[in-house]
Amino acid sequence: MKYESQKVSFWFFATCMLLLTLQIVYGFIMGFDRIGLDVLHDWIPFNAARATHTNLLVVWLLTGFMGAAHYIIPEESGRELFSVKLAYIQLISLILVGVTAIIGFHFNWWEGRKFLEIPRPLDYLVVLNVLTFLANIILTMWNGKKHTTTGIVLVMGLLFAALLYLPGMIWFDNQTLDSFFRWYVVHLWVEGVWELIMGGILAFLLIKLTGVDREVIEKWLYVIVGLTFLSGVLGTGHHYYYIGAPKYWLMIGGIFSILEPLAFLAMALFAINMYRKAGREHPNKLALYWTLGCALTSFVGAGLLGAAHTLPQVNMYTHGTLVTAMHGHMAFWGAYAMLVLAIISYSMPLLTGRKIYNNKVGLYAFWLSNIGMLGMTVALAVAGIAQVYLERKYGMDFLAVQKEIEIHFVVMLICATMFATGIGLYIANFIKYGGPVGQVTEEGDNYFEEAVA
Amino acid sequence: MLSKNQARTFFVVGTVFFTGVFFYLSYDTVVNHVDKQTNSQNMSAEVVRGKRLFDENNCMGCHTIMGEGAYYAPELTKVYERRGPDWIDVFMDDPEAMFPGERKMVKYNFTKEEKADLIAFFKWVGEIDLNGFPPEPDKGAFASTVITTTGSAAVEEKPSKWSLCSACHSLGGSGGNVGPALDGVGNKFDADYLRKWISDPQSVKPGTAMPKLPLSDAEREEMVEFLSKLK
Repeated sequence: MKYESQKVSFWFFATCMLLLTLQIVYGFIMGFDRIGLDVLHDWIPFNAARATHTNLLVVWLLTGFMGAAHYIIPEESGRELFSVKLAYIQLISLILVGVTAIIGFHFNWWEGRKFLEIPRPLDYLVVLNVLTFLANIILTMWNGKKHTTTGIVLVMGLLFAALLYLPGMIWFDNQTLDSFFRWYVVHLWVEGVWELIMGGILAFLLIKLTGVDREVIEKWLYVIVGLTFLSGVLGTGHHYYYIGAPKYWLMIGGIFSILEPLAFLAMALFAINMYRKAGREHPNKLALYWTLGCALTSFVGAGLLGAAHTLPQVNMYTHGTLVTAMHGHMAFWGAYAMLVLAIISYSMPLLTGRKIYNNKVGLYAFWLSNIGMLGMTVALAVAGIAQVYLERKYGMDFLAVQKEIEIHFVVMLICATMFATGIGLYIANFIKYGGPVGQVTEEGDNYFEEAVA
Repeated sequence: MLSKNQARTFFVVGTVFFTGVFFYLSYDTVVNHVDKQTNSQNMSAEVVRGKRLFDENNCMGCHTIMGEGAYYAPELTKVYERRGPDWIDVFMDDPEAMFPGERKMVKYNFTKEEKADLIAFFKWVGEIDLNGFPPEPDKGAFASTVITTTGSAAVEEKPSKWSLCSACHSLGGSGGNVGPALDGVGNKFDADYLRKWISDPQSVKPGTAMPKLPLSDAEREEMVEFLSKLK
């Protein structure tokens, strides 16, 4: 670590761990609801658990991105963070707004629009909060000694993510328009600008972990984000097939969203090739596992499993079934959750000065969580496909179908237990690192730079 | 080999171009198509209030509408057509009474007006042109429903609150499949039994899934008379 102010990211990452734990708890509540064990129904009905589960996901990932930015941007700009105090104020206010929103969900206070459930007054606070964060990051970069592509792509991703929150704050009376612009936020986040953030963080990690020349990595970074927008922007059309928008979206959405896996494929190939090019191994094996794991799993979860039901002919039957939940779980895990866990694994030894690079706990955490998530995805896939045939093809009653597929949620719960054990181990390692008391060194983490020199 | 500058140009030009196309198509959708496809002229004050209620209570947190939501509870796009206004009105008063022992729904204590708003919203949503969604089930592939039309049932007028029955029971091949089919029910039970059964199912058969329907005396008599004639 080169700059004292990078240490704030420790607190962002610690918040991530806390919110992720809570997200998993709510996931279990929903899993048990689905097998008929809904004893919490009177206090936490399914819609409250669901809104909490997905919003916690979004908040902990964003907190992770912010933590990553606080770590990466000083280093990529060659200076201390603009204001450490502002960063703490921003983190604390983010937590306060988030906690208020989640408590509100339990008292029927929300907007009830999928993924954007946070009630309107709090939306304004979120905007204020994100502006504070962006100001801090952009000012750091503006006055920086250098401006790198990695830094610029990351900041652009964060900036556009903030801008794209706004279409979700327009009131519409028409359900179709409401949905149309809701996807401006949700789709263009996860299949658009979040991939810029992902590309930026991955590029930073690969530069640090493989020692491959920055120019080469950043060139491919442009190609990847180029492919993302080439396919992803018009790929939004796959949300517009069946919500009352015109028919041409079937063709446009179909063609462009079937191309979306390309960006993820490029990302996976890029990561693996850079890893192969590395002259020697960086000692931080855990960070390397999560980084390569992220690139590969995102291709499977976000790329392939998304493509599996993105064509309009298929989506006509899978739209609004558990097939979507299947894709959602592995996509978010692979592309974004693993990315945040990768940057945490990379930066923690530097932030805390405790070199946990390759321990058993960390490896078990990686494999258990990944195999657990794969199992959950398969269980949801089987449930989803059965639902499609029974309900959509054969016209069976909804609740009768749900009874038929209950068993798959038992399987899902077993796999979720495995997943949660993995995350538990990850957090155990996180705690073992201790506080942010790492040494600030003149040269920072230049494991490879000396080799080059 | 591709240079970094060329890669950057590819990114910038591609992004700007496709974003431009996307904005143009969005504009076209909003201005030229949505009003027609959604029959926006039918969006009365009731419909709009209904949508707000739908959002304020996060109905999407369990149900799906136009295929969007949480997959825990039934798709509501065609609920007006499937259940009818009477059924929805009764159901929302006490959802668990309608499906005892099944997956639970929160009891929202909506007023009569609020229920009417929601029903108006469902009716409007059901009429949106969704490019063919939801797909019609392929009943031919699953021909387990034996269609038996009993002489009188086919022609006779259904009782006024029939939608409450047909949500779960079928008659002449149409209706739900939660409870047994009602074809020939008049052969099995007489009017007295049917009256007692409909008035309080639990007293006749404790633990039954059949809910106690909120029918007026006249409506119940009409129902009993109709059912006992199904021979």
